[in-house]
Amino acid sequence: MSVLELRDVHRIHGSGEATVLALRGVSMIVRPGELVAVMGPSGSGKSTLLNLAGGLDGPTQGEVAVEGTVLGGLNRKALAVLRRHSIGYVFQDLNLLPSLTAAENIALPLELDGVGVRRARRAALTSLAEVDLEGYAQRFPDEMSGGQQQRVAIARALVGQRRLILADEPTGALDSQTGEAVLRLLRAKVDAGAAGVLVTHEARHAAWADRVVFLRDGVVVDTSGPLAEPEHLLDGASS
Amino acid sequence: MSIKYGLLALLQRGTMYGYQLRTSFEESTGGTWPLNIGQVYTTLSRLERDDLVRSLPEHDGGQRPYEITDAGRAELATWFATPIGRGDRPRDELAIKLALALTTPGVDVPGIIQAQRTATMRMLQEYTRMKQRTAGPADLSWRLVLESMIFQAEAEVRWLDHCEASLARHAPLPTPPPATAPETVHDKEKTA
Repeated sequence: MSVLELRDVHRIHGSGEATVLALRGVSMIVRPGELVAVMGPSGSGKSTLLNLAGGLDGPTQGEVAVEGTVLGGLNRKALAVLRRHSIGYVFQDLNLLPSLTAAENIALPLELDGVGVRRARRAALTSLAEVDLEGYAQRFPDEMSGGQQQRVAIARALVGQRRLILADEPTGALDSQTGEAVLRLLRAKVDAGAAGVLVTHEARHAAWADRVVFLRDGVVVDTSGPLAEPEHLLDGASS
Repeated sequence: MSIKYGLLALLQRGTMYGYQLRTSFEESTGGTWPLNIGQVYTTLSRLERDDLVRSLPEHDGGQRPYEITDAGRAELATWFATPIGRGDRPRDELAIKLALALTTPGVDVPGIIQAQRTATMRMLQEYTRMKQRTAGPADLSWRLVLESMIFQAEAEVRWLDHCEASLARHAPLPTPPPATAPETVHDKEKTA
């Protein structure tokens, strides 16, 4: 079964002369174990697509389903529960709460979801270990480097049993080695069974995905999957 | 680069025969540059002719080892010490193709750009997969080769994005065709 499905999704912002057709008939399926990158220039609809996939915005026309549940059919409360329970978000601006420690930041969505404080903390510590930040549980965001903060944000996105990970330029302003570590984490989580959507304008980052979807003016213009036989790549290398 | 310097660098480590050279060459470039044994022997005979290597007596197994000469060592040292100039690399066929496409009537330039971007992206995905499989310091040599290919592919995608943006920006501004060559019509002018 698909974790995320977009069926002929349209999203129109504004009205009259100020109408912007952000997405025009986008369909997409993301299955467990699959990482899909979305590439396109500014204004092509990448972030709109991610917001729709995460239930932060609704389509003007068409349907978005997460684990078979059509988001448009849910009331606000049910949607909030699904978002907290099934979806992990990694955004460029980390949205870490400065007054909470790393562990508290990570445990927060679980506690909001009704998980007991101790269990939530245990899960947070496990999640911190996954991003190689075992010793940082008690640190506050301003006591960590940008790369460490980004890893905390990822740990928060991956904590618990999230099935859908949505990442918007998750490597932000990180240097290339730290950025790569972030992508390796995302890839590992997806390989362990989650589904991921990665919005990026960097080809080198999109290349970590199984498929790359190219958006132009709200329309999918092409999709690239990896070659079946890598040997083909080496043709011509000797010329 | 020619295979010549690759073989000289390998022989600098010690004597080797043709098959060993081929295997070591491929190992040190992670298989990104496959050689056939014919290329190895052709290159060896040229190197021997130029006194950069010499062949030694055959082993019992019938394999003939080669060793690098002092002239070969000097040649190799010069190669390592000399930066590679842009002019030494082949001309970029893609840039020429796009330049020609722009000035050839009836050619879908955005289509060419997108098709190339998808193809380059696919390569980039595959290189990245290969890179994921590397681990440990033993792989460093070939990981660097692979990363060079990754960065080049990334640069190509960025350049294609740039071409597309330039095309979109300049398309609505038709310029009159040059008076000397009225038959050469800019593709975008034709469609604008």
